[in-house]
Amino acid sequence: MKKIISILILVGGIGLGAFTIQSCSTSAMVQAKSGAQLWGENCKRCHNVASPSDYSDVQWDVIGTHMRLRANLTADEMRKIVEFLQSAN
Amino acid sequence: MKALKHLLVVPLVLAFLISPAQDSKKAKAKLSPLPGTTRMLITGSAWFGYQGILNNTTDTDVTSNFNDYGFSPVFLWKLSDRLFFESEVEIGAGEFELEFAKLSYMVNDYITIGAGRMLTPFGAYGERWEPNFVEKFPNSPMETSTGSHLHRGAIMGVDVRGGLPLGSVKMNYVVFISNGPILDQSNGMVQYENLLEENNNNKELGGRIGILPFSNSSLEIGFSYKRGIAGNQGDSVYKDVAASAFAIDWNYVNDISAIKSTITFRGQYNSLSVDDAIYPVDESSKAAGTYTFDNKQTLYFAQLSLRPSLVGNKFFKNLELSFRLNGLTDPQDAAWGAKDKNGKGGTVTRTDLGLTYWLSWKTSLRTAYVSTAMPDDSNTNEFLVSFVYGL
Ligand code: HEC
Repeated sequence: MKKIISILILVGGIGLGAFTIQSCSTSAMVQAKSGAQLWGENCKRCHNVASPSDYSDVQWDVIGTHMRLRANLTADEMRKIVEFLQSAN
Repeated sequence: MKALKHLLVVPLVLAFLISPAQDSKKAKAKLSPLPGTTRMLITGSAWFGYQGILNNTTDTDVTSNFNDYGFSPVFLWKLSDRLFFESEVEIGAGEFELEFAKLSYMVNDYITIGAGRMLTPFGAYGERWEPNFVEKFPNSPMETSTGSHLHRGAIMGVDVRGGLPLGSVKMNYVVFISNGPILDQSNGMVQYENLLEENNNNKELGGRIGILPFSNSSLEIGFSYKRGIAGNQGDSVYKDVAASAFAIDWNYVNDISAIKSTITFRGQYNSLSVDDAIYPVDESSKAAGTYTFDNKQTLYFAQLSLRPSLVGNKFFKNLELSFRLNGLTDPQDAAWGAKDKNGKGGTVTRTDLGLTYWLSWKTSLRTAYVSTAMPDDSNTNEFLVSFVYGL
């Protein structure tokens, strides 16, 4: 058990290290990703992708928050994705 | 325990550190100009199923049965930019149950506090893959032989969660405190889904850290841990008996253009360990002698799916072929669980071969051939069909 905990801490440590190296900023490449691209990359990970036209603007706002919380997506990604879905429905 | 506390602190510190830098970039989400301010959505699914048992039966067994139906509405309310409520009710097959009812407060981009009855944030299966329109098979991955809800179901408690961008890597975390597992003091079985029937003051602590190492998010690996006292409050023998568990989950989804297909490779490995304790040989009289055993279980599943989503043909595009391997190993010397021919605890292996036709992103007709091999060398083969309608 101790071993597992150590592994978990190590992982946390690596995360912290990565974070320090990046010094507070998301790399330029990731930052430059459009809402459409983030949608294409993230929304197919767990289930099939719903079409933007399946839901209204308000519904996408609700779903976006739901997925941000359930799937632990970053808030920044989610804002871009919801904006994309609202412009494409 | 101390180490666990440290583990829980890492993501929180991280979240607080980045929070001021990123908060300013908040862009207001565009909302519909239509009248009304309530932001809510009712969604969910309905299903029915058929089971055919193919072998290992006697003349009096029912081998052909429409064996499952149900309807699950999911209610979502975005109460404000920071407050969110979600709930699911399951109605079906003799059940009427509140699956979850959770209120979440988004403190900032990296920290959300949730409270209520929530799907267990231990591993990825319970929260992310169990909802029946996400599942690709007509059945679920194998549960422990005692139905302990080690890796699924709901907890009552509070959690803190968030997603963190770390350069081209992403990380996410959940930590939770909840009513904990309950030990059956007559035989050492543990039950996780107790909700309001708490048997002691100790609360379970746990969490999960997810890492997405590739910038295209195609892979996520999660590490989870939870620990809580399972014995009854103040009991002279069992009050310190704790159950701890860890899980490793993974999910890889990618389009492979060479085979014109989307592949999904996901799974979860769980290990449960209950502190050693003595149990009465005769459960009913508690008179005779006592025995103890190494109370450890492992449970896993791994599944690979292939959907030719990049081919032109409309029919083949919507077909998905899946294979899942499930395994469960029970304690050697427990009074319960799957036993081999010598009465020792053993391993149950189940293979699921599934073919699903997707009628929409949420609606599908699923079939599977399921073969279960018990440690005593007996086996069962089944054919399952289920229709899941996304609402
Ligand atoms: C980590 C897994 C995961 C990812 C990634 C994910 N989802 Fe989901 N999604 C779920 C689960 C689980 C549900 C079912 C929730 C429930 O009802 O319990 C769901 C439900 C939905 C629903 C049905 C309505 C609802 O909110 O329940 C929509 C629409 C949806 N997701 C869209 C998206 C979009 C858009 C994205 C990309 C931003 C996304 N999902 C990413 C797991 C995921």
